[in-house]
Amino acid sequence: MEAKASSSKKEWLRLIFFFSIILIFGGALLSLPRAAIPLTIAYVIYLIVSPALPTLAKLGLSKGFSIALLFVALLFFFIYPIVKVVPTITREAKEFKDNIPRIERYVETQYSKSRAVIKDKTGYEIPSKYVSEVIEVARKGTANFLLNLPQVLASFLEWILLVPLFLFFLLKDATSFKRSILRLTPNSIFERFYYLSHKFNSQLGDYIFAKFVEASIVGIIITSGLLILDIKFSLLLGLVAGMTNVIPYVGPVLGTIPAIVLGFAEYGTTPTTGAIVLLYLIANTIDIGIVFPILVSKIVDLHPVVVVMSVILGSQYLGILGMVVSIPLAAAVKLIIIEIYNEVYSDRNR
Amino acid sequence: MSYENEISEKLEKKEALPEKLDISMLKYFWQANPLSSVKGGNIPKFLRKIGVLKNFSDNELRLLSQSLHLRSFENKEVIFRQHDLGVGFYFIYSGNVDVTVDSGKGAEESENYLLSLDKYDYFGELALLQDNSARNATVVARGNTELLGIFKPDIESLILNHPIVAAKLLQSVSLIIANRLFSVTREVRALKYKLTQRKMGKDGSKG
Repeated sequence: MEAKASSSKKEWLRLIFFFSIILIFGGALLSLPRAAIPLTIAYVIYLIVSPALPTLAKLGLSKGFSIALLFVALLFFFIYPIVKVVPTITREAKEFKDNIPRIERYVETQYSKSRAVIKDKTGYEIPSKYVSEVIEVARKGTANFLLNLPQVLASFLEWILLVPLFLFFLLKDATSFKRSILRLTPNSIFERFYYLSHKFNSQLGDYIFAKFVEASIVGIIITSGLLILDIKFSLLLGLVAGMTNVIPYVGPVLGTIPAIVLGFAEYGTTPTTGAIVLLYLIANTIDIGIVFPILVSKIVDLHPVVVVMSVILGSQYLGILGMVVSIPLAAAVKLIIIEIYNEVYSDRNR
Repeated sequence: MSYENEISEKLEKKEALPEKLDISMLKYFWQANPLSSVKGGNIPKFLRKIGVLKNFSDNELRLLSQSLHLRSFENKEVIFRQHDLGVGFYFIYSGNVDVTVDSGKGAEESENYLLSLDKYDYFGELALLQDNSARNATVVARGNTELLGIFKPDIESLILNHPIVAAKLLQSVSLIIANRLFSVTREVRALKYKLTQRKMGKDGSKG
């Protein structure tokens, strides 16, 4: 009995030690976003490319050589477009910022016109402060986004150095790092912790990979469509459409708004504007009808209502980042709830 | 007579020493040297002595040992409980474990001692194959015990990285389960036979 008591006390100490290490790690990462963001990006890329390692190993290549090969491939696929595209996008963003007053004036004139029409027809006068408020909010939002964009792209250059570094060590040492965490895991939670973390990791990896592919497809369709239509800011709009696509349900709408506003402001009610609207409709139909059901929906098996609720909850606490991470987090919570359910009701199932 | 004694005797008697070095003997001394035993090298050697893993080559055992987790348990520490969800299969690396089954009849906690497992024994193999596998028995360490565990995620990565090792391991696990199924079938048949015997006996006494 005494042995049992002392061993359970030790087990408690181990549990406390284990969770405090995890908390310290997590806290350190959260308080250091400059390191945490490139690390997260490196981790995301790691989740995307690490399945290639066993395939390369099967070809008889050593681990070091496989990693080197992956790096060369990544450099080829990423660095060249980044170097080429980043200046164009920065320039487009600056031009777009200069175009903002024109777009505002267009919206204001349209608004006052329709106000006049409504007053003519119904006799009801809509106060003009609505539009000025909306414009104020929109102005702040876009200005922030566009002003921050060059800054984001600048830290991009910092990440270009950090991400490969983190990625290299993740590819090289992730297995041994995982094993040392598992060695610290107390016996009483070992199997569950190992299984849940593994399941969560593979689900996260699959989800991120699927989302990455989905966003790329939408971005490519829209960018090439806009290039064919010869629209201004096609790269910027394509980038925005791809990035907002990561947010479920709300994202595609958010990505469409700037293009449509720009289209009306730039081209008025001409066939070109219609073509832009049609292009976005086609891209989102392809996304919703083909890409999403094949790629994403099988991976995170969440009810649409749960998805919307978690996106709202995420945006409440973490803004746009929260909208993006809410889905994998909700999937993780679901995983843990199912595990606890099975634990609590395991006797009933017999 | 030991090699050392042989040599020293020959030295005493001033006999000629053997011209050739006895390589196998030297190798034995080298391997028996307590300082040379590297800790990582011991697990494949341990696995070599497990009967169901006999179809593994040395290199495959080395690869398998990289996927195993060495877990140490204190005296009376629970390894897993009956009805727990399990994902792991364990070999006993050192020490002993007791297997108990809770019959679950009535309110009294009747923990029936089932059996005790020793070094080189293994348990929990069903968890590797079943989805949401619930443990059939409670396993408790007796004395300080070290176990080598392999878990579902390890099997998944083994299948990806070393498919041959994974196939052989699953073959071994199937062998364990097949043996167990065979003995269970035999037992069921014997019980059925006894039951029909008894029934016939009763019918005979009636008629």
